[in-house]
Amino acid sequence: MDSAISVRDLRKTYRTPFRRKRVEALRGVTFTVQRGQIFGFVGPNGAGKTTTIRTLMGLIKPTGGSATILGHALPSRAARERLGFLPETPYFYDYLTVGELLDLAGRIFGLPSATRRKRADELIERVGLGRARTQSLKKFSKGMLQRAGLAQALMNDPELVVLDEPMSGLDPIGRKEVRDLIVELREQGKTVFFSSHILTDIEAIADRVAIIARGQLQAEGTPAELIRRTVLGIDVAVRIANAADITELVDGATRVHRAGDELSLTLATDADVDAWLARARERGARVVAVTPRHETLEDLFMREIATADSSAAAKEGRV
Amino acid sequence: MTHRIWAIALNTFREAARIRVLYGILVLVFGSNLFAIVLGEMSIRDADRVARDVGLASISLFGSLTAIFLGVFLLYTEVQRRTIHAIVCKPIERWEFVVGKYLGMACVLSVLVGVFALAMTAMLLYQGVGVSGAIARALVLAWFEVLTVAAIAIFFSSFSTPFLSGIFALAIWVIGRLTPDIELAIRTGSPWIKSTAQVALWIVPDVHLFSPSGRVVEGVATSVHGAFVDWSYVGLAGLHGLGYIVFLLALACVFFHRRDFA
Repeated sequence: MDSAISVRDLRKTYRTPFRRKRVEALRGVTFTVQRGQIFGFVGPNGAGKTTTIRTLMGLIKPTGGSATILGHALPSRAARERLGFLPETPYFYDYLTVGELLDLAGRIFGLPSATRRKRADELIERVGLGRARTQSLKKFSKGMLQRAGLAQALMNDPELVVLDEPMSGLDPIGRKEVRDLIVELREQGKTVFFSSHILTDIEAIADRVAIIARGQLQAEGTPAELIRRTVLGIDVAVRIANAADITELVDGATRVHRAGDELSLTLATDADVDAWLARARERGARVVAVTPRHETLEDLFMREIATADSSAAAKEGRV
Repeated sequence: MTHRIWAIALNTFREAARIRVLYGILVLVFGSNLFAIVLGEMSIRDADRVARDVGLASISLFGSLTAIFLGVFLLYTEVQRRTIHAIVCKPIERWEFVVGKYLGMACVLSVLVGVFALAMTAMLLYQGVGVSGAIARALVLAWFEVLTVAAIAIFFSSFSTPFLSGIFALAIWVIGRLTPDIELAIRTGSPWIKSTAQVALWIVPDVHLFSPSGRVVEGVATSVHGAFVDWSYVGLAGLHGLGYIVFLLALACVFFHRRDFA
């Protein structure tokens, strides 16, 4: 079975408007998204996430490399028939209502009138805009626009859904709903490729993750493959009287936080936890939790970004 | 293909119908007709001649200015506001988008010219003057002019800012209106003026074709008040306009196709 997205050595170089300085937005990006996966695309601002997505969507022409979507080499109208796209910070025709926006999308996909109406009604309810269906998009909040954008991306019942920062502008409830929607799409057999700054969201739902920085892919794999399973430290939380002397307890801890009678800290991996707990009990402390601290996607992200920055700095130093 | 072009055209028409600027232009329509009636009343004789001249000139002037105003924003705004991002990722070719936008705007302008024509007819009937075949032909020519000017504006909009596009489109329209004077310059001017004027004639559409009143056509002085051009002239002028529209839209499609929507 062919992949949903295949990107090989994708490059994009811009020229700045007046000084004509070359800016390499993408410097040989390569990755593959298999069908039926949720693929999370992570990177700091200016890393090349949106440029990659816009290139895949045919908004930007690459200066090098190649890409295929659903087996079709770019640019391909056949591929665009079968994909849905939510742009970053979506801008739509603000004089339309959400129903008219979906009708426009349905017309472009060539859907018959009855199908357009049925599908639009379903999607408007699905994204929670039923009560705002007669309002023009001009009156929509950022979160509501994001929901309208998701609805228009699903109008053609696509095989592949590409979402650029779909959680941006949403409140925690909205974020949860979008996460649930993405998982639901995977359960329906669709492929979802999405970028996000919110690493916990990616960690929670993505089957595979790619980290991009400075226009290059830094890491790609399943979260389990990428995140080190070794214990990074021991998180300990205790309740201890405010008057108790904790100087000896916090000595050697990598992180200390005290709020009222609650003390939480992180001990080194090689620390004698039993001895520490005994000392704490001697001071009248009651143990609340002792948990090993593993690497998170955020740790991995920070590590990869730091590596990319230091190698770029070394390169610039050489030049 | 046609359903995609139609979808864009319908959306463009909807957009124009929902912006309030057009209602301001409708006020201008009735204002200019009122002005024509007042001017006619003030003239010692030939009130109907004044009414016809002012009415037709209003259609040509306000119709063309509206075409420039709408046209220069047409593609630029789509790119600037990024509304195009959610459209061109769908199975629509960029040329279909440009053609759809033009057709939508052409529908808006046609409605506008229709309203102008109705208002002018009402004014002429109010003054007790019938609507002659010459007036009908002059109205069709004015409609062609407006549609041609719209294509000029959309061509510039495919690669330039609204301000510059407006200046360029206005300049082309004014130069196109002056083709008899340019032809005269070719006959009588210095070699430098001759070559410049010749280049201008090649590039610029002969917009003056669409308002032949007061011009000598095939040795006959034409006037909307007397001997006016026949329907075959109207057809040929329409073909000239259509040729330019197709040419300018093709160029706009090429420029638009090459653009990155970052």
